[in-house]
Amino acid sequence: MRFWGLVVLCALACAVAPFMGPGLSADSADFIFWQLRVPRTLMAMLVGGTLSLVGAVYQSLFANPLAAPSTVGTTAGATLGALVAIVLGIRLAPDGMPLITAAAFVGALGVSFVVAAIAAGRRVRMNDVVLAGIACSMAAGALASGLQFSADSAELMAATRWAMGHLPQVGYSGVLLLTPFALVTVVGLLALTRALEVFIAGEEHAESQGVPVRRVRTVAIGLGALGVAACVAWCGPIAFVELIVPHIVRRTLGVSRRVLLPGSVVVGAAFLAWCDASTRVFLPVRELPVGVVTAALGAPLLVYLLARGRP
Amino acid sequence: MTAGLTLDTVTVRARGRTLLDGVSLHVAPGEFVAIVGPNGAGKTTLLRVALGLMRPDAGHARVEGHDVAGLTPRERAARLAWLPQRLETAEPITALEQVVAARYRFSESRRASEAAAQRALTEVGAQDFASRPVTELSGGERQRVAMAGLLAQETPWVLLDEPANFLDPAQQMELYTRMGQLWRSGRGLLCVTHDVNVLTHVRIPGTRAPRVVGLAQGRVMFDVGYDAPELGEHLGALFRVRMHSTSVDGHRVFVGLPRDGGAR
Repeated sequence: MRFWGLVVLCALACAVAPFMGPGLSADSADFIFWQLRVPRTLMAMLVGGTLSLVGAVYQSLFANPLAAPSTVGTTAGATLGALVAIVLGIRLAPDGMPLITAAAFVGALGVSFVVAAIAAGRRVRMNDVVLAGIACSMAAGALASGLQFSADSAELMAATRWAMGHLPQVGYSGVLLLTPFALVTVVGLLALTRALEVFIAGEEHAESQGVPVRRVRTVAIGLGALGVAACVAWCGPIAFVELIVPHIVRRTLGVSRRVLLPGSVVVGAAFLAWCDASTRVFLPVRELPVGVVTAALGAPLLVYLLARGRP
Repeated sequence: MTAGLTLDTVTVRARGRTLLDGVSLHVAPGEFVAIVGPNGAGKTTLLRVALGLMRPDAGHARVEGHDVAGLTPRERAARLAWLPQRLETAEPITALEQVVAARYRFSESRRASEAAAQRALTEVGAQDFASRPVTELSGGERQRVAMAGLLAQETPWVLLDEPANFLDPAQQMELYTRMGQLWRSGRGLLCVTHDVNVLTHVRIPGTRAPRVVGLAQGRVMFDVGYDAPELGEHLGALFRVRMHSTSVDGHRVFVGLPRDGGAR
């Protein structure tokens, strides 16, 4: 079956990823491989799988091929949170990710839960939720711009770097911190597969067929926000993964939610692991932010698939 | 506790307009009721209230004695199946998958859902395109798949909103014949239409007639059987035309003519 073929392929791709990159000298090989590359690959798999699944779920939920975590304000909230941390200077103990991370996490959750609360309303339609997401994103963006305006150049540099999206060198502790969030999100969202299948013919029709629409969309947005907030907090807004991977899966495996959702997890994990590994190949000395690679690789790939037409 | 589907003085207002104005209607189990009326009469709103998708500003919709607004979506889906005016499935899922969605209300395995969906598709003669994407089906084929969905949901009530829109005459006839089969299988049907003539196909000539309820400006204007002599006059008043009624092969047919006798 095609699906399992893809799973095997992706598993192999993930396994190969840590071996990619410049050759390692004998004395540091063990350390670099086991303490740097392997945890980073694991991190990439967690982030890639989570982001892609959330993208696929949002696209199904909003019946909109452009829906993404940024649609419900998650990314803008994270950016605002990170900027607050950077500019208010509560950052940077030398390996000082955690405070920025925590602030980005709080910001992402804050903004997306406003949107989720709107989605929980009785008279609200899905289009209203999209608009609310855009409005909240713009509000958060405006606040962030205000902060950037008052920031000094070092802070601006840090903020810009963060916004490019990169996989941090956080070792196994970061992996361990992220795992529960990714797991809750992935398992929870996959449990909604059956309801999301019914959503294909529109939310009112889904409700007439027995789906508790308001509950499903609130839970889906909430779980998605939780997972994405955790990922974005560590890595910054990694561009395009959540948009591109579900479309790649749709065009290779089909639109059935039963393959699209788990397929997005698997392909997303492998996709980001390889994008990350390729940063080591392209620029071995000075590392390219992985967000640049995902956009540069993913966009042409998507265009190619679109041009090739429907499966 | 009353059996049946009941609207009790339902009023719906939206943006200063009254869409439904104290509508009361009772559909007994196994009855076929057609709601006819000009565009904007409130027909679709009436269905949405009956389905519990819209809460009335006053009055209640009840099914089998329960206020539909107080039922969970699953409880409603166990009683009422709905065919909306446009069943939009933009995604190329297969016909089988679309029908499987109608089994959501059951707590059953995927395999059981697929078996039930397959049976429903076979019943409407759509088994041959079960694995084809619905986006590639013709209007008539799509409507058959939609009918299969209604069957698969296994509800005592089926509510249809202008189901014959976008179908050619042969397809319309086929559709209404199938709706007649649904009716004779013991289900209650509430069907919105503005073409009263298609209703003749829901019955075998000479058997019991569907009920026709006229709706205009959110009010019930009449409520009579399809065979009632005064139906033509009622329809004429409802659509502001002269409605001539005639009989062809045992089918009652209505022809609308201009009120001023055709002179222009």
